[in-house]
Amino acid sequence: MAMDRGKGRGKAGLWAAAAVIVFMIAALPLSAQAGNAKKGEKIAKTRKLGNCVACHYLPGVESPGNIGPNLVESMQEYTMADRKEVVQWIRDARKFNPGTIMPPFGTNKILTPEQIDDLVTYLYTLKK
Amino acid sequence: MIKKILNLHEVLTCAVLVLAVTWLSGFSPGGAWAADNKAGTTIEELTPSMSYAEYHKRYEAYYGDTTARMAEEGNPADFLLDDGKDLANKVEGSKGKSCASCHGKDALKLKGAATTYPRYDAKLSGIMTFALQINTCRQKQMGAKPLKYESYDQLALTMYIKSLSNGMPIKVSIAGPAQSFFEKGKIAYYKRQGQLNFSCAICHVQYAGYKARSNLISNNKHHADHWPSYRLKWGKTGSLQRRFRGCLKNMRAKRPPQQSEILRNMELYLTYINNGDLIQVPGMRM
Ligand code: HEC
Ligand code: HEC
Repeated sequence: MAMDRGKGRGKAGLWAAAAVIVFMIAALPLSAQAGNAKKGEKIAKTRKLGNCVACHYLPGVESPGNIGPNLVESMQEYTMADRKEVVQWIRDARKFNPGTIMPPFGTNKILTPEQIDDLVTYLYTLKK
Repeated sequence: MIKKILNLHEVLTCAVLVLAVTWLSGFSPGGAWAADNKAGTTIEELTPSMSYAEYHKRYEAYYGDTTARMAEEGNPADFLLDDGKDLANKVEGSKGKSCASCHGKDALKLKGAATTYPRYDAKLSGIMTFALQINTCRQKQMGAKPLKYESYDQLALTMYIKSLSNGMPIKVSIAGPAQSFFEKGKIAYYKRQGQLNFSCAICHVQYAGYKARSNLISNNKHHADHWPSYRLKWGKTGSLQRRFRGCLKNMRAKRPPQQSEILRNMELYLTYINNGDLIQVPGMRM
């Protein structure tokens, strides 16, 4: 009996642990999406920070540059599953295009990983 | 004062590097980038974004003839010309001479001289720019002090003497010993540098005609034909090498001092690819 209960508790514990693990896995993309869109927008539009608008169109900015693609259009092509790829573009675009003009914001420590996270969170708000 | 200290710091850093590099490689001194800047390094050629004609169309559509019209109404840099002429006739230094002592009244015999600069100079074992030549004359021929680069008098004298070649085509040679300095200048122009990992060429070749925020990036044809120029953003007249240093600052890259070997090599490279363009000083730019 005690054994059974013990067994039962053990099973319940196992289930609970499994549930926690499943929850954690489910939550993983969520926690990876941590990042503050508002801060990200400021980083994108501030000259001394990301200054993305030197090259990219972003909404609400006067005379953005046109060296790179319109990021509103670009973001329509990315799903949440591509988040790592978007991060990589900003961290170091040379991975996709060795001759790119886009500065390696992560590799050259122009922005911190947290700032890049904020940026990407902001970019995803541009998805319609 | 702070500026002076910085310059001194740059000069010292440069000197130490130059010595180290010369000692290590037996190579001629080349400023802060000398180590990566040997002739023979291969350059990844870039495809120009568009023809000069297409770039020019975009320029006119974007800026219209604003600067050309302003220059016609009166380029503030024109004021330097008269003072430059006075300086050319002014006796200075231990030998009791002026530019005019060797080059005629108002130094008029120097008509056309600016068209062949920068060029190789054997005594310098390097590239002589027009500005450096004028200071070299002051020191060696006149026994006078060199004029501080970017000072009013230095810009005025250089601009005046250069204006004697206005309307004449640039015809710079890279034959013989100049060749290796030309190559080093080209390497520097194509080299990725600074925190933003840009090169001069990626902007002025591959993305000329595109806008970095609201600035239309210029095609490098006609980059070397109008200096010293008045620049609205500076509110002042300045030299080509000042402009180089401005772009280097935007790139968050090292800024070698004026007339350092690396900037002279780059000036040779840029001026050579502008061969045939007509000299027109002073220029006026945004
Ligand atoms: C100096 C120019 C420049 C700057 C500054 C710049 N980019 Fe880019 N970016 C480009 C170019 C050009 C491309 C197109 C791909 C290529 O040529 O490598 C690009 C591509 C991208 C892409 C991929 C777009 C797609 O269609 O897949 C993203 C995302 C991106 N940039 C985000 C940013 C962010 C965020 C910043 C600021 C932190 C930024 N960029 C700053 C030039 C720039
Ligand atoms: C990220 C882009 C970018 C990079 C990199 C860059 N420039 Fe520029 N440059 C510009 C812009 C924008 C202007 C202002 C528009 C103009 O007058 O060309 C300019 C202007 C100039 C001018 C003045 C042109 C004129 O007609 O008066 C010269 C000369 C110049 N750059 C040389 C250089 C050199 C040399 C380097 C590398 C050391 C360099 N640039 C790097 C964007 C750039």
